[in-house]
Amino acid sequence: MDDMQRRAFIKGAAIGTLAFTVGGVEVFLTPRLARAQNLPLRTLNPDQAATLDAMGEALVPGAKDAGITHFVDQQLSIPAEDALLEARIMNVRPPFANFYRAALGAVDGASQAKYGGRGFAQLAAAEQHDFIDLMRQNKLENWKGPGSGFVYFLLRSDAVDVVYGTMDGYAHLGVPYQAHIAPTTSW
Amino acid sequence: MSNEKVDVVIVGAGASGSVFASVLAKAGKKVVLLESGPDWQLSDLISSDIWGRRVKPAGPPFLFEGKNPYGYVYQSGWGVGGAALHYFANFPRLLPNDFKVKSTYGKGLDWPIDYADVAPYYEKVADDIGVSGDAKAEEIWRPAGKPYPMPPMKTFPGGEVWKKGFEAVGMRLAPGAVGINSTEYKGRPACIYDGWCHVGCPIGALANPLVTYLGDAKKAGAEVRAHSTVTRVLVSADGNKVTGVEYYDAKKEKQVQEAAVVVLAAWAAQNPRLLLNSAAGKHADGLANASKLVGKYLLAHFASNTSALFDEDLQPYMGTIAAQYYSYDRYDKNSYKDKGAFGSTFMVAGTAQRYSALGGVANARLDLFGAELAAFMKRAATGFTRLTAFAEEMPLLENRVELASDKDEFGMPLGKITHGFNDEAVALFNANFDQGMAIAKATGAKEAWPNKGPMPTIHLMGGTIMGNGAGDSVTNSYGQTHEIPNLWIAGPGIFPTSGAPNPTYTIFALSQRGAENLAKNWGTVAG
Ligand SMILES: Cc1cc2nc3c(=O)[nH]c(=O)nc-3n(C[C@H](O)[C@H](O)[C@H](O)COP(=O)(O)OP(=O)(O)OC[C@H]3O[C@@H](n4cnc5c(N)ncnc54)[C@H](O)[C@@H]3O)c2cc1C
Ligand code: SF4
Repeated sequence: MDDMQRRAFIKGAAIGTLAFTVGGVEVFLTPRLARAQNLPLRTLNPDQAATLDAMGEALVPGAKDAGITHFVDQQLSIPAEDALLEARIMNVRPPFANFYRAALGAVDGASQAKYGGRGFAQLAAAEQHDFIDLMRQNKLENWKGPGSGFVYFLLRSDAVDVVYGTMDGYAHLGVPYQAHIAPTTSW
Repeated sequence: MSNEKVDVVIVGAGASGSVFASVLAKAGKKVVLLESGPDWQLSDLISSDIWGRRVKPAGPPFLFEGKNPYGYVYQSGWGVGGAALHYFANFPRLLPNDFKVKSTYGKGLDWPIDYADVAPYYEKVADDIGVSGDAKAEEIWRPAGKPYPMPPMKTFPGGEVWKKGFEAVGMRLAPGAVGINSTEYKGRPACIYDGWCHVGCPIGALANPLVTYLGDAKKAGAEVRAHSTVTRVLVSADGNKVTGVEYYDAKKEKQVQEAAVVVLAAWAAQNPRLLLNSAAGKHADGLANASKLVGKYLLAHFASNTSALFDEDLQPYMGTIAAQYYSYDRYDKNSYKDKGAFGSTFMVAGTAQRYSALGGVANARLDLFGAELAAFMKRAATGFTRLTAFAEEMPLLENRVELASDKDEFGMPLGKITHGFNDEAVALFNANFDQGMAIAKATGAKEAWPNKGPMPTIHLMGGTIMGNGAGDSVTNSYGQTHEIPNLWIAGPGIFPTSGAPNPTYTIFALSQRGAENLAKNWGTVAG
């Protein structure tokens, strides 16, 4: 598909779902379903995915099952022009995958340095909490990557997106979504 | 590839370009708008904060430096409609003291025109595209004029709770003037208060360019070419006129569009980048740059937000993203002189809240995460409201757009935006938090807190300022460049000072005034 055709295709597709690959075929699913079906990731490696799952969940409870990792991974695999990530509007320079690889690497590196070789996903809940509290204030030692406060801001925003930025999220908060053009799924 | 010569080529199909297109097409001119982004339709405006990011640029063609780097992408538009496809349609106006800052206060700059020159155009815009508000109520702050064509919008508890706080500190509020229909207007429906304005109103209740100026322009024969990115304005051999523009089309092939008049309407950052990149012949420093002021005096607003939580259900999910109430009671530029501040403040209260994304409720407590954030979200879902104090900085030469050495995909140098707020602006930012907290505490809110973080940069003005001559400015008050009569600049870039309110009502008014002047003087202007 050339660029313009693909764009038209995306526009016409069930809005609210994202394209994932199942057995070599593109299917449209919500990130939550993609996660539930354990679909293969396209961009992030298993370590990065584990870190993002753990970080997402620690930032916003529910983010892991809501599919934060499948959401971000899928978004990183499409052209920046089509991406829906907060990174897009915060002046991050495409390809956004570079930012996420650096950010997730910095999280794990700083965690390993602080907790005797254990990555962020291996930390106990209280340790994760302390780590994030320092991270958001740019106070972590051995942080090597984009500013830790900015990484906190963007990953937290991704987690908020999948938990609260959806029709399900509004329902969970008990407030009406009232869409003009409703996403055709709960995404 | 070359295209048939047209009367006018307009670079950018956003707020200002659409007004020029409408006025000139209706005057019988052959108009082409070149727009770098997609050809958005109302049906693209999905009610979702996640999908709403699609209508912004992906990767800014700028680098950012300075003490307060400019937050470009969030503030900008991309595609037909420009940023006004997804603006909030707050329609406050400048006040008389904004036009003579230098002569009144001895700092900043003067405009070459007065409030009285712009006021009739505010009224014309209101009638043309529909504004809801209460002009009489505003006249405590400004000269009297015509009523708005529609009554004010409905209010909700999230706005009404601020009335008590303002009263307690002796400040006044008036219903916000907005470019949104409180009643049906010219065949466009009334608003239904569902709070999705900021990702685009697909029913046309909000005056975005698609349903107003651009729609009119197309009806009058204007052509819009999307996915067309202009990289240069072309100049005649003698350098006395421009002859058209060079652009890259959807297939990324180079094209030339010749025109008798070129209007740059690509917003306050891109217009100077294009002028600087078009240096040729006697315009070695860039077009219209004898003053060396192309790209200088860039202006951003900043805002001090105060949040409040109530136990009652304020229905924060209802309303528009534009404000229900506003106040010019701290508009005197010396309102907080005792605190070392200078500049006007414009306060707005009561907007519909969204729960995710940059302006969402979750970001009102950026320090919270995990279980604490979840608990906060539950309480805030119905009890949250916020007060915003917009304020102005004075024009500084060092706040600027320049060309960088890195290039974009078309080989055009990236721009570099350097921006920092001075001490008086920082003092105003702080003073507005103190004022906001005094008001919030007096509302009887259960909790109130200042959203104090790094100073945000909001809107963008300046960079190609208007003035009396080529010695101290880039354009005249109509947007015509002093040096090249058939090269015009539209949009907030021509503001020499910004005032504190949102700029687009003034952009529409100035564009209407400029385009009418261009049409009237066509015979002497066109090249
Ligand atoms: C989230 C948000 C909320 C806002 N809310 C308000 C509000 O409530 N009230 C208010 O007054 N203002 C508001 N604004 C500001 C308002 O949208 C802008 O002031 C206004 O749109 C600027 O008009 P413009 O014509 O200069 O630029 P735009 O409307 O942005 O149009 C410029 C167009 O030029 C195109 N372009 C850029 N470079 C090129 C190129 N090289 N070639 C071809 N095309 C190009 C862009 O893609 C864009 O479509 C808001 C803005 C944002 C982002
Ligand atoms: S609240 Fe009103 S103006 Fe805003 S999107 Fe809904 S109908 Fe349109």
